[in-house]
Amino acid sequence: MNDTLIAMRGITKFIYGGDGRPIRNTDVKILDQVDFDLAAGEVHVLVGENGAGKSTLMKILGGIIPPDAGELRIAGQRAELQNARDAREKGIAFIHQELNLCPNLDVAHNMFLGREPRRRGVKDAAAMYAKSSALLQALSCDLDPRTQVARLSTAQQQIVEIAKAMSFQSRVVIMDEPTASLTKREIDVLFGLIRRMRADGMGIIYISHRFEEFLEVGDRLSVLRDGRSVGGMRMSEFDPGTVIHMMAGHAIDEMYPRTHRVQEERVLEVKGLRLTPRTPPIDLAVNRGEVVGLGGLVGSGRTELAKSIFGVRAFAGGEVRYLGRKTTAWSPGRLIAAGMAYLSEDRKTEGLVLGMNIRENTSLASLASVATLGLISRPRELAQAAGLIDQLSIVAQSAEQPVATLSGGNQQKCVLGKWLSTSPRLLILDEPTRGIDVGAKAQIHKLIDQIAGTGVAILMISSELPELIGMSDRIYIMRAGAVVAELPAGPGLTQEKVVAYSCLGET
Amino acid sequence: MTREVKRPLGLTPGALIGLMGRHVSFFIFAFLAIIATLCVRNFAARDNIVIILKQSAIPAVACIGMTMVLMTGGIDLSLGYIVGLASIISGILAKTLLLPVPEVVLAVLLAGALIGLANGLITQYLRVPAFIATLGSGYVIYGLAQIVSQGSIINRLPAGFLAIGRTDLFGLPSAVFVAAGVALGFHILISRAIFGRQLRAFGFGPKAAALSGVPTARINVTVYAISGTLAALAGLLFTIRVNAAQPNMGGGVFTFEVVTAAIVGGTSLFGGVGSVAGSILGVLSIKIIENCINLLGVSYHLYLAVQGAIILLAIIVGNMTNRRA
Amino acid sequence: MPIAHPARRAALFLLPLACFLVLGSLIPHFLDVSNLLNVVRQSSIIGICAVGMTYVIIIKGIDLSLAGLLAFCPMVSGMLMLAGVGMVPSIAAGLAAGIVMGLFNGLMVARLAVPAFITTLVVGQISQGLALIVNGGRSIGAFPARFVFIGNGSLLGVPLSDLLLILFLALGFFIQRKTALGNHINALGGNESVLRQEGISAAKVQFFVFGFSGFCAAVSGLLLSAQMDTVHPTQGDAYQLDAIAACIIGGVDLAGGKGSIPMAVAGALVIGCLRNALDLQGVHPFIQNIFIGSVIIVIVFLGGVVRRRNELATRGTL
Repeated sequence: MNDTLIAMRGITKFIYGGDGRPIRNTDVKILDQVDFDLAAGEVHVLVGENGAGKSTLMKILGGIIPPDAGELRIAGQRAELQNARDAREKGIAFIHQELNLCPNLDVAHNMFLGREPRRRGVKDAAAMYAKSSALLQALSCDLDPRTQVARLSTAQQQIVEIAKAMSFQSRVVIMDEPTASLTKREIDVLFGLIRRMRADGMGIIYISHRFEEFLEVGDRLSVLRDGRSVGGMRMSEFDPGTVIHMMAGHAIDEMYPRTHRVQEERVLEVKGLRLTPRTPPIDLAVNRGEVVGLGGLVGSGRTELAKSIFGVRAFAGGEVRYLGRKTTAWSPGRLIAAGMAYLSEDRKTEGLVLGMNIRENTSLASLASVATLGLISRPRELAQAAGLIDQLSIVAQSAEQPVATLSGGNQQKCVLGKWLSTSPRLLILDEPTRGIDVGAKAQIHKLIDQIAGTGVAILMISSELPELIGMSDRIYIMRAGAVVAELPAGPGLTQEKVVAYSCLGET
Repeated sequence: MTREVKRPLGLTPGALIGLMGRHVSFFIFAFLAIIATLCVRNFAARDNIVIILKQSAIPAVACIGMTMVLMTGGIDLSLGYIVGLASIISGILAKTLLLPVPEVVLAVLLAGALIGLANGLITQYLRVPAFIATLGSGYVIYGLAQIVSQGSIINRLPAGFLAIGRTDLFGLPSAVFVAAGVALGFHILISRAIFGRQLRAFGFGPKAAALSGVPTARINVTVYAISGTLAALAGLLFTIRVNAAQPNMGGGVFTFEVVTAAIVGGTSLFGGVGSVAGSILGVLSIKIIENCINLLGVSYHLYLAVQGAIILLAIIVGNMTNRRA
Repeated sequence: MPIAHPARRAALFLLPLACFLVLGSLIPHFLDVSNLLNVVRQSSIIGICAVGMTYVIIIKGIDLSLAGLLAFCPMVSGMLMLAGVGMVPSIAAGLAAGIVMGLFNGLMVARLAVPAFITTLVVGQISQGLALIVNGGRSIGAFPARFVFIGNGSLLGVPLSDLLLILFLALGFFIQRKTALGNHINALGGNESVLRQEGISAAKVQFFVFGFSGFCAAVSGLLLSAQMDTVHPTQGDAYQLDAIAACIIGGVDLAGGKGSIPMAVAGALVIGCLRNALDLQGVHPFIQNIFIGSVIIVIVFLGGVVRRRNELATRGTL
């Protein structure tokens, strides 16, 4: 039971620049000399915050992306995986979070897609159903293989995927946040499956941030932070505090500016807002000149909350009060006119119109202010764009440059410029510095501080602990659709505390 | 500070393709005009140019509306049938009911607007894909036109009515100037007005546009209403030109011609890219081809097939130069 | 069953039956044997087109080239036959024309990412233009007796048209339910990325689907001309809408991934019944079009509503 199934050594993956080439001469990498082992008959839990590199490491193991340096050995043999199918043929199965099935086909047809058995030249449906049944039975699942996948619950679909993986004689199964949408009972069933697979000598890599599950199903765990392996432990030695400490020790290499001052006037007030009928009510408030951080893991509901406030997502109860008025059913257009702004986390599809240039993008939310009688005044628009390029230090040839050709940092500054042109009173930022080089990050932080200094209320969602703690006057932490903590800035606000609340819901 | 970078005047091949890509419609038009002048006798004669302009006016009007619909990523397959319905309605109002000319015009345009509005509402709020919604509504409209006309054609329309399009100004019928006026108006709307900017943003990136406060639902419905109105106007002008109101006017062939012109004019099927100027050049381009085919004595039916080849070529070229993700 | 809900399938098989009964009771002469045979004869044109169209809609496309191909392909065969070429090679040429046009559609969709509605619209227009050019816009007719027999003759009392429809029904059914390709077609309509991950070429599936649709259009066109002993250059216009309507009534989902050949053929029979009944009542074909156009919009709308409700129901936590 101690054969090493997988040995990854020195795995490195660089960040890629806007030109598609890797940036090699920097300390900041997606993965930096990571080692990772998996033995037969064990469940190895992989832990780390958003952006720590877990999914990248697993994508490399799953053959989806290649490493830039390092070595992968499968059962002792060196391997260079060409694609996901290659990985599967070598015995590695990847159960993704977004399940990889065709909803319109039934279970059996999904399981044998691409390798449909034949009899006398014709597809042998009977054999497909029989084999699928057998595979499902082996997992103690009595699902009818004739059922259409769209009718299955998430848990059942997951079992189908696992059965499919098993049918390829996989030795290694990677599971990415498998319990995210499962009920307690379903989780128990899944754990039973995992134990069975382990007993069969398979190796399972289990990515999760649910501490309560580690002890139940894991044999050991490893922690990644900022692309590096920072250590691990056997489950028999598991101590949540130590793990949190390992996850949270990010280097702080920036002096976050703090020149703004929080004012008395309340700009945003969220009362009793339920993101779904099943999640508890959320209360939240932001004052003038205040930078309020919103922390939590991916999937905790932060973006959903922001979108609910901004009127693009329906919510199941409670209200939003902005500048004293109830704005619950307002459209984004109306909210923007009233001074609310939302910089979304996906700048390529939600922040920028990629087919247009800087000038057109920065004026898009404030067209009325550069127009007379409905006609846009080109000189005014150009002046506004030039002013923004100057103010935000956007590196571009001119305001006519297509935004698609800008670097990530400059693109983000364009989006910020768009929102600044609306003279906002409340600025909601969703991961404002994600995927941006260090220099631009610092510039944006300075800008955020300046904007707050002019009296704008800022609600900032961030997964980067140093940024979250360094920039905020106050932090809310979300977990599973609820706010679990509200922490003021100060010496008591540590990375560990934030991670503890994010993962455990308590300290 | 913006870094001022001096662009070398020597154009690189990449820059040249980019330049051509942005002004594809002009290059195509110029190319065709030059070839035609050189190869086809009598092409550049004044009378012939007048014919081309006369024949371009009506498709141009309809093409402007279709361009706007294409810019949102949709399509209006009912356009040709709206032309037919508008034709017969105008005939009935002008001749049978003898309504005053301004009322006839208003009524016809309103009818087109309402039909277009229905198309837009079905596409936006019933979430029926545009090609199916307008395919279905096209047949409905065609049937309505047949019912309204009761199978007959209305000839010899009142002179006052005909004057809208047939008045001679500077050697060209007034219909050409109506088309020019419409083109100018919509050019300003699309290239200078807030609506036009929002339309383009919606076509390129609907999510980003919506999050920036662009009223995407309203714009989507509006472009279909505009397309319907302009199709009705085209039907009106058509009726005046041939002095006959009939439900078969326009039809699927006309729709196809208008779509071809829009795409040759640089409109992208995926949305966002398009311009009035480009589409006008597109109409002129295909009318030049049609004109040459007539002058050369080639069968008109060949032209229909050729039109298909043209649109394919335009799409392929568009794919290479536009290169939208 | 790879797809579709059993109860719904049963209901849709009953629909043409219900149609027959209802219309039969309301309209005199509807249930005359001669009339019913006529209904199936006419439905066979729509039905064969619908078989090809079903696959196209399953992979989220549409085939608007039917109208042109229904005229062009028989025009090719007809001109050859009248020029003295044997019947079999002439028919083969017409079928080849349809397949080539279909494959071209597939090429545009697979390699150039042109939306299906545009490429098929264009190919349809080109085909229609060619059908008009080939004989200067005139109809042709007076074909060899053997050819006309295909359209109007019977074998053991069953009209050949009906047999041909049954043949295509069986063929379409067989491909969809009994071959790996059928599974791939459904998968392409359901989740293209999964298909690609399994190493299956989406392009090959698209080529087949559009090529097959072109083939079906060619067969229908030839059958139609055999029935009428004439090729009229615009004879295809009437059938395109009906083929789409047949698929939609037969429960083929425009959003892709869902559709069954037998149900589409059932839809064709329904359309055939409706058209026939309305004809008997003296309702003008154009007015029939109004009805069918509206039905299409309504069914697509309702289908969309149901689909969105299902999606909401199965969505995850947040």
